[in-house]
Amino acid sequence: MKTKVRQLLEDGRVDAFLAYKTIHGVPYPALFTRENVDELEPWAPFKARYPVTKILLAQARQNPEKTYGVLVRGCEERSLNELFKWNQLARDKVVVLGHACTEDLALYCECPKPYPDQLDYGEAPAPVSKSRRLEELEAMPENDRLQWWLSHFNRCIRCHGCRDVCPVCFCTECSLEHKELIPAQKLPPDTSFHLVRAVHMAGRCIDCGLCEEICPAGIPLRALYKRVNHLVENIFQYKTGVADGKSPFTMLGDESFLPAGPR
Amino acid sequence: MQSPFEPKILAFLCNWCSYAGADLAGVSRLQYPPNIRVMRVMCSGTVSPHHVIHAFQRGADGVLVAGCHIGDCHYIKGNYMTLKRMTFVQELIRFAGYNPERFRLEWISSAEGVKFAEVARDFTEKVRSLGPAPPFEASPRLAMGI
Ligand code: SF4
Ligand code: SF4
Ligand code: FES
Repeated sequence: MKTKVRQLLEDGRVDAFLAYKTIHGVPYPALFTRENVDELEPWAPFKARYPVTKILLAQARQNPEKTYGVLVRGCEERSLNELFKWNQLARDKVVVLGHACTEDLALYCECPKPYPDQLDYGEAPAPVSKSRRLEELEAMPENDRLQWWLSHFNRCIRCHGCRDVCPVCFCTECSLEHKELIPAQKLPPDTSFHLVRAVHMAGRCIDCGLCEEICPAGIPLRALYKRVNHLVENIFQYKTGVADGKSPFTMLGDESFLPAGPR
Repeated sequence: MQSPFEPKILAFLCNWCSYAGADLAGVSRLQYPPNIRVMRVMCSGTVSPHHVIHAFQRGADGVLVAGCHIGDCHYIKGNYMTLKRMTFVQELIRFAGYNPERFRLEWISSAEGVKFAEVARDFTEKVRSLGPAPPFEASPRLAMGI
């Protein structure tokens, strides 16, 4: 990896490369430039996950003229695809190296695609397509489901962690902080806090699971967003996270996405 | 004696077709139940899923969104967005554990006063039969003494 990254930096293909640096035995995201490329470690699989593409987005927003390289997992590549499609990052300003996740990480994450299309390091493990929680939820009678969700939403402390960690939450103004829509200073927040976020994740969430992992209240958020994107897939035949296409909610007048129904 | 359940229904009607349809129902003196509270919007495409969720959150028993027929929207394709969003939001409501029949999307033109009255009657009866909507709100921790 060092050779490849050094090459990219020396050829001027990228101005900086976002990879990892081990500190106290834990890999942390770090930016490498020509000055410190020697500190780059050889690639080895690891389990720590970060919203790297969000870090990349913050960098790119500060230095729009620069080109960045980045080492991505499957989920991170999907989030890059979304950031390109939603015009948050320019495709020609990002160079990608990809690495596969380990099989146990893929199982832990219940990851539908634990490797990137651009696979440079590691071997692709088998995808996990089932979500046990989603299956349980779908089998539940309606009212039980409502109570189930409410009992979880009840614990929300409104820390905004789910939004802040999300690699595809890129807005600079957030509906979750819209006081008329979701009354401020209410704890737990209105149910709409979670449903509004769910609406925004439709056609955007790439199912990385970081939100659920970070939620201090242990709210099963991922099931909500997973379901929302199954809906988008079923109604509009649109798959989130792939390289091409556009979310049905981005285009005002496109007929190809019109679902069947009364006219 | 307890008074019988009267559903509260919020209707978002677009200015150019559905609101005019409701108006026509009024001037034609068609009978329809007074449970429908109308909110006039410029185009049904301006109704966000947030508004629908918010309405339930604030105690609506049913929500109706009505706009021009596809092809007749006065902003040409505004109601394409309505159709996409509302089809989606109805399924989201279902997954959250709400009866999706509490939500309805209709196309009503300015000439369809009769259709408006029919929809109003039919939807009110439907929602009445479903009973009061369950609270859509997490209970405050303080009330639980924590
Ligand atoms: S799983 Fe959560 S953090 Fe990841 S993209 Fe979806 S909403 Fe964002
Ligand atoms: S991370 Fe969890 S507790 Fe924090 S705002 Fe999101 S849902 Fe609420
Ligand atoms: S103006 Fe009536 S739906 Fe757009």
